[in-house]
Amino acid sequence: MRKLGASIYKEILLLINDKVGLLLMFMMPILLVFIITIVQDSTFKLVNDNNIELIVVNKDKGALGDSLISILEQSGTYKITTKNELTEAQIEKTLLSDNQLLALVLPESFTESLTAKAKSISSEMLSEFEIIEVTEQKSVGAIPIALYYDPVLQDNFRMSVSHSIRSFLSVLENRLMIEQLYVEMGFDEIPTSMEKKFFDNQTTIEQISANSSSGDVIPTSTQHNVPAWSIFAMFFMVISLGGNIVKERLSGSFVRLQTIPSSFSLVLISKMFTYLFVALLQLTVIFSLGKFVFPLIGLPSLDLPSNILGLILVSALSAFAAISFAMLVGTFAKTVEQANGFGAVTIIILAAIGGVWVPTFVMPAYMQTIGNISPLHWCLEGYYTLFLKGGDWYLLSPTILFLIFFILACQILIYSKLKIQNYI
Amino acid sequence: MSNVIELYNVSKKYPKATRFSLKDITFSIKQGDKIGIFGPNGAGKTTLMSILCRILPQTTGTVDYKHNDASVDSMQFLHSIGYVPQDFSFYPELTPYQNLMYFGTLYSIPKGELKKRINELMTVLGLSHVTHKKIHTFSGGMKRRVNLAIGIINNPAILFLDEPTVGVDVQSKNAIMAYLEELNANGTTVVYTSHHMNEAEHFCNTIVLIDQGELIVQGEIKEVIEQHNASDLQALFLQLTGSEYRD
Repeated sequence: MRKLGASIYKEILLLINDKVGLLLMFMMPILLVFIITIVQDSTFKLVNDNNIELIVVNKDKGALGDSLISILEQSGTYKITTKNELTEAQIEKTLLSDNQLLALVLPESFTESLTAKAKSISSEMLSEFEIIEVTEQKSVGAIPIALYYDPVLQDNFRMSVSHSIRSFLSVLENRLMIEQLYVEMGFDEIPTSMEKKFFDNQTTIEQISANSSSGDVIPTSTQHNVPAWSIFAMFFMVISLGGNIVKERLSGSFVRLQTIPSSFSLVLISKMFTYLFVALLQLTVIFSLGKFVFPLIGLPSLDLPSNILGLILVSALSAFAAISFAMLVGTFAKTVEQANGFGAVTIIILAAIGGVWVPTFVMPAYMQTIGNISPLHWCLEGYYTLFLKGGDWYLLSPTILFLIFFILACQILIYSKLKIQNYI
Repeated sequence: MSNVIELYNVSKKYPKATRFSLKDITFSIKQGDKIGIFGPNGAGKTTLMSILCRILPQTTGTVDYKHNDASVDSMQFLHSIGYVPQDFSFYPELTPYQNLMYFGTLYSIPKGELKKRINELMTVLGLSHVTHKKIHTFSGGMKRRVNLAIGIINNPAILFLDEPTVGVDVQSKNAIMAYLEELNANGTTVVYTSHHMNEAEHFCNTIVLIDQGELIVQGEIKEVIEQHNASDLQALFLQLTGSEYRD
């Protein structure tokens, strides 16, 4: 035990002296988890808290342009600035120079076109029902609404806005068509009771997170990002641990240890113990930030899962997977530069295909299949099961099995390499 | 004096190698010897040293370790040896004290005894003023002395040194060689490789000369020089191994 204690103490001393390694293992993930969570949270707020800035250029000579603007404002999605005086060229200039993203242009004929369309459809409907007789069918062209956008805007965001405006426009069109039906049938206007029935009691969509626990876990940017970047942090120990192993091997310390009456396994075990402590410390620090510091800066707080035993098991297995990977890189790399470079790049790639950067469900099917080889993917699946899906043991079992397999595979490779090199 | 290590027909061939690095090496090391293993680059000195220290296994032949004339197993043997590699095999981010505490603990030296031994070694090797300073700030000579201190922390009965004075100044070389003399005078058997023939001639009493993996000559240094009518060890070396480059 004294030898193990001395080995662990030596590892801790080496770690304390590895300032770059410590920065990479603690500061980098802390910054990343803050930045990514803030960015994702602000994107969420942008869509949900009346924050999409929209310039509206209303050239409409009728009243429906104002009605559409009113509906858009009431939706709570858009922050509307009306600038009716802008020309097409000025709109483009405004978008390019004034940090504005979107501009909606309603043409002079907006009301006229909408009314004509509603009138045409309602007349045709009543004619079909043989309520009135239509002698002449007027063709109605498309209503030319233009949505200008900043070229930096991502396609998916632009399409979401476009669909959203389209749905609000449909509300207006439906309303107009019903009004026209009444007018065609000789009424002055829609009866108030009918209008209320028609436009109230809209079907609502209740969003329910699939969750195996009885608790109500609300998926937030914090619930997604804190576990994801904690895993990334753990695996980034490859820089410190992998480099440390190469340095010891190249300096001849491993050779010297062969001439000392002590088991070489002791060296490996002491490294595992030390870095297990480091990994658990990383998790504690990042989870604590999510739990206690995030709410102070307006971010959602981290809700810890109810399955604490599952959390401990997945955390321990994730830590051992990260340690085993780092030791594997350190054992096979020929130089410190090789270990650091290969280790860092590999972790970034494994994180990308594993869903740390972007969720795997947005990836093509073949990328999702490739992602299954990433240990970070399985660690993330484990944490998502715990943090977002209620932490059911059945759902956790694939993660647990894969991580055990990955750890064993790495350890066997490490043992084989060290055996070939005659260290064991 | 009794033998502490006996080698019989030791050969070594590395995996995938086309030729043997060592071929049928037979010699013995007596207790209290100051034995020098010499040879040109690539002769097999480091391989031989590694086999003697149990770092590498021999392909064929036997290496018999003895303590008080009785053969011992390799783990018992490891307790009685010290090894000073040519590389700085320690942790330069740590202090000499931290390095010596770590390696000393692996030898199971009791803590109090270990601290006393560290102080003693630091004083003798002229490092007491930097005991608690990080090694990466040290000069080459100071690092060599730390390397030596770690190799002898367990007060070994047999000390293996692979070029212990390479790349150091005269003062450090003098200090190291003087301390090795002192250790030997106190009963430590010293097995040593070097390319400094003058230093070796003054220090060693016995030589083993190998070339291309084969034992060329062995014996008392003075007798061997006389037998070959050489003026000194360097002349003997060139006479037996030739003057052509080997690397």
